[in-house]
Amino acid sequence: MLPDSITPRGAVANTKQMETRLQESVAPRQSFVDLNRWMERYQRADPQAPTALVVALSPPLLRFFRSQVASREQADDLLQETWLRIHRVRHTYRPGEPVLPWVYAIARRVRIDGYRRTRRITMHETAMDVLPERSAPVGPGNSLPAFDTLVAALPEGQREVVTMLKVGGLSLDEVARATSSTVGAVKQKAHRAYEKLRKLLEIHPEGGLREEVNELP
Amino acid sequence: MNCRDVDHALIESENPLTAPLSVQAQEHLMSCDRCRQLIRTLEVSHSAEGPSPVLLHQLERSLTEDLRPVRPLAPQRYLLAAFASIYVLIVAFGAYRMGAFAISVMSTLQAVATMCALAASSAVLTYSLVQQMVPGSRHRIPPHYVPAAVMISLVSVMAGVFHFQHEQNFWRQGWSCLRAGVPLGLLAALPFWLLLRRGAVLAPRIAGAAAGLLAGLVGTSALEIHCPILDAWHILTWHLGVALLGAVVGFAAGFAGEMATRSAQMAHH
Repeated sequence: MLPDSITPRGAVANTKQMETRLQESVAPRQSFVDLNRWMERYQRADPQAPTALVVALSPPLLRFFRSQVASREQADDLLQETWLRIHRVRHTYRPGEPVLPWVYAIARRVRIDGYRRTRRITMHETAMDVLPERSAPVGPGNSLPAFDTLVAALPEGQREVVTMLKVGGLSLDEVARATSSTVGAVKQKAHRAYEKLRKLLEIHPEGGLREEVNELP
Repeated sequence: MNCRDVDHALIESENPLTAPLSVQAQEHLMSCDRCRQLIRTLEVSHSAEGPSPVLLHQLERSLTEDLRPVRPLAPQRYLLAAFASIYVLIVAFGAYRMGAFAISVMSTLQAVATMCALAASSAVLTYSLVQQMVPGSRHRIPPHYVPAAVMISLVSVMAGVFHFQHEQNFWRQGWSCLRAGVPLGLLAALPFWLLLRRGAVLAPRIAGAAAGLLAGLVGTSALEIHCPILDAWHILTWHLGVALLGAVVGFAAGFAGEMATRSAQMAHH
């Protein structure tokens, strides 16, 4: 049985339909239930499989990149790069194994490579003018700082774990697999991240977090 | 229940996005402003903008255009068997060519400890390499610790079972051991690399160091069977030196591969 939020390619008739499906497929884990079956069909070159996988996995992957890198353009680039790599190494997915750790392990590597590439480019560039600071966005419907702004203050390892758990919807074991780590190490990182997030929220419960973010130990 | 227990409940929940918190955690939330804010912030993360429909359409099209059936990677046990066969065959070949003089001069304890340590180290490295070939595999030991852990264990075992003596011709005899061990390592490195290429290694430097160390251990194992010098300094420097050299060369090869890929990507961008 296919997930409701994933329909065959023929049904992707117009962008409005796609947008609606996107809204539905953001994060809820139920939509990941049949990913294994879609991956197997992808390996067998079923033309419907890429559509199903892209629609189901791209929103959480984009959110993962958005919480790790600054701009939307970079996140879009990383998303495209991730899908290209997924396509290239799709034979390494083992049928029956969970899809999410496989996908996120690749996405994580793409992000690391992207970060190193950006760093190399910026090292050779000279800033001509002071760039305007990004304003700290506020979460919709409340006065709290947005999730991305908050997690940006966390060390890389903790940020990765929190994003995978809370945006990607991965379980502890899946995060451990995706980060080539152990469940114990993931738990420890998550605990430390939540402690730090609480401290951040305590400092500025009404937003305006930017100045304080880098001052925390 | 305190804040730490709420963290625990958040982390341990089977389904991190949709599972409701326990009654105790919810009671704590009623009285704790800090936890309430944390939960609200984390909940907000679920409702964010997604990729543009244009981008999704592009992605779908590019994947569908180049869609061909692929054969999934061989099961783990076949890959393990392939690595083990290459290892055993080349060690046997080396021992056959050079002669097994060390076995007759070693004590039973030394022979058993050395062979067991080498076999265990090779098994751990092989398992780690096979796991690294498939992204998202479960690692009992994080792969970046494995080469260092293997080297430390081997040094400890060798230093424990062999005596430190003053050896004459330390450099000359060492050089001949190095010259005998390195070609065997190189001989093993090629099929190991061909096997690794079948998978999708995400961290080439770590995988390179592990594969290089495994190839080096082929040379070390052959030397342990062949070389009758039982001085601990000789074994640690020259026999394990072959393994260490393999790890360093493998790391460098992985690094070079990573840089080449990155340069190609930068040119593409």
